[in-house]
Amino acid sequence: MLELRAATKTYDDGHPVHALRETSLTVEEGDYVAITGASGSGKSTLLNLLGLLDVPTTGSYRVLGLPAHELAESHRGAVRGQVFGFIFQNFHLLNGRSALENVELGMLYGPYNRRERRRRAWETVERLGLAHRALADPRRMSGGERQRVAVARAVAGRPRVLFCDEPTGNLDSANTATVLDTLRGLNEEGLTVVVVTHDPGVAAEGRRRIEVSDGTVTEVEVPA
Amino acid sequence: MSPSRFRGVDFLHESMIAVVRHPGRSLLTAVGTVLSAAAFVCTLGLSSTLDHQVSSSFDVRRATEVLVRPEQASLDPAWQDGTALARLTGLHGVVAAGARLSLDGDRTVQRSSRAGDTEIRTRIIGADSGALRVMSPSLTAGRYFDGFIPGQAERVVMLPRSLARELGITRTQVAVFIGAESYTVIGIYDDVARRPEALQAILMPLLSAEELRQPGGEDTRDVVIETQPGAAQLIGGQAALAMLPTEPQALRAVAPPDPRLLRQEIEGNVARSSLLISVIALVIGAVSIANATTAGIAARTQEIGLRRAVGARRRHVFVQLLGETTTLGLLGGVLGAFLGVCLTLGISLANRWVPVIDLRTALLASGICAGAGLLAGFVPAIRALRIQPVAALQR
Repeated sequence: MLELRAATKTYDDGHPVHALRETSLTVEEGDYVAITGASGSGKSTLLNLLGLLDVPTTGSYRVLGLPAHELAESHRGAVRGQVFGFIFQNFHLLNGRSALENVELGMLYGPYNRRERRRRAWETVERLGLAHRALADPRRMSGGERQRVAVARAVAGRPRVLFCDEPTGNLDSANTATVLDTLRGLNEEGLTVVVVTHDPGVAAEGRRRIEVSDGTVTEVEVPA
Repeated sequence: MSPSRFRGVDFLHESMIAVVRHPGRSLLTAVGTVLSAAAFVCTLGLSSTLDHQVSSSFDVRRATEVLVRPEQASLDPAWQDGTALARLTGLHGVVAAGARLSLDGDRTVQRSSRAGDTEIRTRIIGADSGALRVMSPSLTAGRYFDGFIPGQAERVVMLPRSLARELGITRTQVAVFIGAESYTVIGIYDDVARRPEALQAILMPLLSAEELRQPGGEDTRDVVIETQPGAAQLIGGQAALAMLPTEPQALRAVAPPDPRLLRQEIEGNVARSSLLISVIALVIGAVSIANATTAGIAARTQEIGLRRAVGARRRHVFVQLLGETTTLGLLGGVLGAFLGVCLTLGISLANRWVPVIDLRTALLASGICAGAGLLAGFVPAIRALRIQPVAALQR
């Protein structure tokens, strides 16, 4: 499903920084991949490349067989919007809009019209047990509720892959457990999940474990 | 997979929601356009109200008045004699005309010749019967001094009521002394139709005033004319030639400005100054939107990054920001126009004027403010083009 081949990422600000050394990585449909590593190890760079938020300096990246590294930014945007979903450590919900409207925002630039977006948003909010909070402003929600709204926003458009950047970094243990349950449930329904974390408990959820250290990517065997 | 799209209805909804869900931010951003639209509507509204006021209260009587004066005070007094006046009254459009003589300096007027009695100092104007008719004093007591034997200097005066009161005179047929000579008060008046200087002077027959001239005094002679309504300009142009055909340039006729010209002039001046004020306010309004929205881009980096992450193309973010600033400009303009209308109404009512507001100016102000908002949006929108989707991930 996702196929990174001999990809590198170098930032050149006067003197070059090798954020990611030559890496090959394949993610199959239905995988639950945990990416771990220290701060500055390059795990965010890897997530940006996989999520098409950035392009590799060298090498190739195929999404569903499409040569994503050759696509124009506008097409990469379409892939991000319709094939991928994203959740972030800071939720990035828009204040002044209800939870439902935030969920709809995830589908704004996609193929569905307003009515269809609203229908799907409701359906997703109900499925994630947020129906009672659907009309609340994010500023009046707990961290766990906000992150579940963010998850709903990411998955309402039925993406194939969900990218999570430190999804529980701002949550207490009870809310972390709820969000992890949600992610596990979505994965069991067939959604491919890629999680970047430095929380071993979160990483333990993954059926595959990728460790990034100094820009080098290693797959760690997970005991069955 | 279809390319990312941003439907028109979604664009409008996003622009509106970004503005109305953050009322504080929006108001601060749009305050410049609110003020400029208010200034635009209010200045134009007040100018049309004032214009209406000027034209409705324009003194009809004043517009029928012409004054003729010699360019040099030393001109032979024959210029205002009977034949010259006859030629003048022969002009079509002249209702009445007459000669006047204003004596130089104030004269002492007393109730009696006794020393120590109440005395006042005032101007003296001599007027023939034509001039008296032109001035048309409104009598409160007595009568006019016309109808006397021509060529004879009658010792009679008419007093304005204020002077009569100072002298303690309440009725006619009493005597006042100017210098050592006694004069009979035959009329008291409280207003004049033309030449308001007569409200602060004693009126007497022209020939009587001639007798009171002092050697070396700089007395002024003039001719006052009452014209038919609308003829003042015309008569003003013909009077000098009619009175002194041999030397018309020695006379100067002063007619009141044409009310229509005056109105156009006022309109022109007010329109120019209000346009200038509004343009300045509008530029300030546009700059303030551009400035506040551009400053706000930094705080919205994550929102814009998020939109890019969920599929928005650069152009979608670009047009959305233009849509937001245009909406801000439009709403600011509408609010400002409303305030401008209220302000105009309030000022008009406080002054008991009839408010005259062209509501098209309110529409125009709103439209112009929306345009200013659109232009202002280019600055933040171009800046937002640089924001990469990675920005949404940054913690």
